[in-house]
Amino acid sequence: MDRAVQQGDPAIAERRAVAPREREGLLTLPLALFFLLFFLAPLGLLAGISLRVTPQFAGWGPQQYAKFAGDAFNWSVLGQTLLLGVKTVVVTACIGVPLGLLFMEAPRRLQPALLFIIVLPLLTSVVVRTFAWIVILGREGLLNNVLMGLGVVTTPIRLLGTELGLVIALSQIEMPLMLLPLISVMSRLDPNLKDASAALGAGRWRTLFRVTLPLSLPGLVAGCLLVFASSVTAFVSQTIIGGGRMVLMPFYIWQQATTLFNWPFAATLSMVLLVSVLAVVTTLNALGRRTRALAAG
Amino acid sequence: MSTPLLSRRALLAGGSVLATTMLLPRHALAAGRVVTPAYPGPWEEAYRAVVLPAVKKTADVDTVITPLLALDQVAKVKASRATPPLDIFMLDPGPAVVAIEDGLVDKFDPARCKNIANLQKTFYDDWGVAVAAQIVGIAYNPKKVDRPKGWKDLFDPKYNGKVGISGFGTTFGTSSLIEISKQYGGSLTNVDPAFEQLKKWLPNVAVIAQNPVAVNTLFQQGQMDVTYTNYQTVSTLKGRGVDIEFVKPDSGPIAFYTTLHVVKNAANKDNAYKFIDTVLSTEVQAALQKPPYSLLSVNKNVPLQPDMPVDIVKSHAELASFIHHDWTKINPNRAAWIERFNKEIRQ
Repeated sequence: MDRAVQQGDPAIAERRAVAPREREGLLTLPLALFFLLFFLAPLGLLAGISLRVTPQFAGWGPQQYAKFAGDAFNWSVLGQTLLLGVKTVVVTACIGVPLGLLFMEAPRRLQPALLFIIVLPLLTSVVVRTFAWIVILGREGLLNNVLMGLGVVTTPIRLLGTELGLVIALSQIEMPLMLLPLISVMSRLDPNLKDASAALGAGRWRTLFRVTLPLSLPGLVAGCLLVFASSVTAFVSQTIIGGGRMVLMPFYIWQQATTLFNWPFAATLSMVLLVSVLAVVTTLNALGRRTRALAAG
Repeated sequence: MSTPLLSRRALLAGGSVLATTMLLPRHALAAGRVVTPAYPGPWEEAYRAVVLPAVKKTADVDTVITPLLALDQVAKVKASRATPPLDIFMLDPGPAVVAIEDGLVDKFDPARCKNIANLQKTFYDDWGVAVAAQIVGIAYNPKKVDRPKGWKDLFDPKYNGKVGISGFGTTFGTSSLIEISKQYGGSLTNVDPAFEQLKKWLPNVAVIAQNPVAVNTLFQQGQMDVTYTNYQTVSTLKGRGVDIEFVKPDSGPIAFYTTLHVVKNAANKDNAYKFIDTVLSTEVQAALQKPPYSLLSVNKNVPLQPDMPVDIVKSHAELASFIHHDWTKINPNRAAWIERFNKEIRQ
C-alpha cells in the first residue's frame, strides 16, 4: 500500500478538517445577506438623509446635527429618554433579582408554570398592555381606587402622563426581558457551590452575596441591556402613558417625520438616539465581559 | 442517528406550499381591488360596515381598508411616490394642502363620478371631493361637570384638573387652539394668546393627549371631563354608553370637510373613482350619517335632519355659516406651532 494513504496525506487531512468549518461559515451567508439588505442598507440610507440640509433634500452637510446640538431642548429630550431607560432598568433589576431567586427556590414541578407567567406579558400585544395600564393608572383607575379605599390618599394621585406612571408600566412590560436571561444564568449555577459555601461556614446571606449574586451577574447585565434598549425605544407606551407632557425621543422622531415632514432632522434624531443607546449598550457589554471573567475566575 | 422531528423532505414540501400561498396574488379571486385609508376608530368602523359592502355590490371591487391618520397617509405615499401603497387619500383640509402642494395627488375628474351631480359645486375642486362634514366644539361629561358655554370656560377654575387638551398635531386640536386664541385677541395666524393662556393654566390641565385615539380612551376612563373634539367622536362614544355631550361654543362651532383624493401613480385608479362614486351615493351618504357614525352628509338628497340633533345643526345652509378656517394660511405656521407646543407644554 502507498505510504501516503497509510499514514494519511497531511494536506488531505488538513483539507478535511478545514473544509467543514469553511462550509459552516457559508451557512451564515443568508443571514449576513439579510442583514446587509434589510438592516445595513436602510441604516446607510438613514445616515445619508440625516446629512441633507433642507427638508426638501437640498445639499449635503452636517447642518441638522448642528441644529440638534444648538438647542438645549433637544439635549433635554435625549437626557430624559436615556434617564427613563435607566430608571426602568433599576426598577426591573430590583424586582427581577429577588423574583429570579424565588424562581430558583420554587419546586421543579412549578417552574414551567412560573416561567409561563413570566413570559405572559410578551404574549400580549403592546397596545393591549398599554391600554390596560391606562385602566390601572387612571384617575378612576384600579390603583387610585385601591389607594383611596384604603384611605392612603384622599384625592386621586396623577399617574397617567407622569414619569412615575410610565416607569411603573414599562417595568411590568419589560420585566420578561430582565427575568429570562437572569433565570437562564441562575439555573446553570452548580448547586454544589451553595453547599460548599455552607460547608465552609458561610451563612445564607453571605452565600447569596458572595456566591450566587456574583455568579448571576452576566445574566443581570444581559437583562439590563435588553430592558434599557427596549424601554428607551418603547414608542407606544411612551406616547400613550407618558402623554403630551413628556416629549421623548421616539415620539420626537415620529413627530418630525410624519407631522412636520422634516425627514433629515428626524433621521438626525434617529442617528443620535442610535449612537447614544449603542454607547450605553457597549459600556454594559464591556461590564458584562468583566463580570463573566469574574464569574469564571 | 436519531430521527428528526421533521424530515428534510417534509420541511421542504411544507415550506414550498407556504411560500406558494404567500406568492399567490391575493386579489386573484376578485374582479379588482382598491386600497383606501380610513381614520382609525369611528371612521374605520363606518367605512368597514357601510362602504365596503356597497362598493362590492355596485362595482364588484374588493376594498382593503388601512387605518391611518391623515398625515401618516401623506408620509407613507411620500416615501414611495412611484408605487404608492394607497390608491386613495382620506384627508382633512390641512394635510390635503400638504399632499397637493407636494405633488402626491392626481387631478380629480368629477365627470368620472356620476353621483357628483348630487353635490354642491363648492364640495369638489380640481384635486378632490368632500365626503363628510365635521363639526368641532367642546365635549363634556354631563354627570360630572356643568355644561361649558364657550372656549373661555376651559380656563374656568371650576374645571381645574378636569380639562384635557391636545396640540397642533390634529385638525380639531389646531382649529380649537386657533379659536381659543381668538377669544384672547389672537387670529387665524396668531396663536400667541392661546399659548399664554395654556402656559398660565398648565398645572390645572388634567391630561395632554398626543393623538386623537388616546383622547377617546382617556375620556372614557374618566381621565378628563372636558375637552375639544369632533361631534362625530362624541356621537360614537355616546353610542357606546359613555356619558358625553357636545357643546357648540358660543363664539361659533368650527366646521370642515374631510375629502377623498386619488393618489398620483395609484395602481387602481379606475377602482378609486368607483369607490369615491359609491361613497358619494345617496344610499351610502344616508347610511354614514345615521348615528353612531354621524358622518354629516354632503349629498343634497340626504338632509341633515332628522339624523342630527336640531341644536347641533339643522341644515347644510346652517353648516355653511359655521367657522371655516383657511388652511393655506395655517399650514405655513403649523411646524413652528407644533415645536413651540412641545417646548412650552413639557414639564
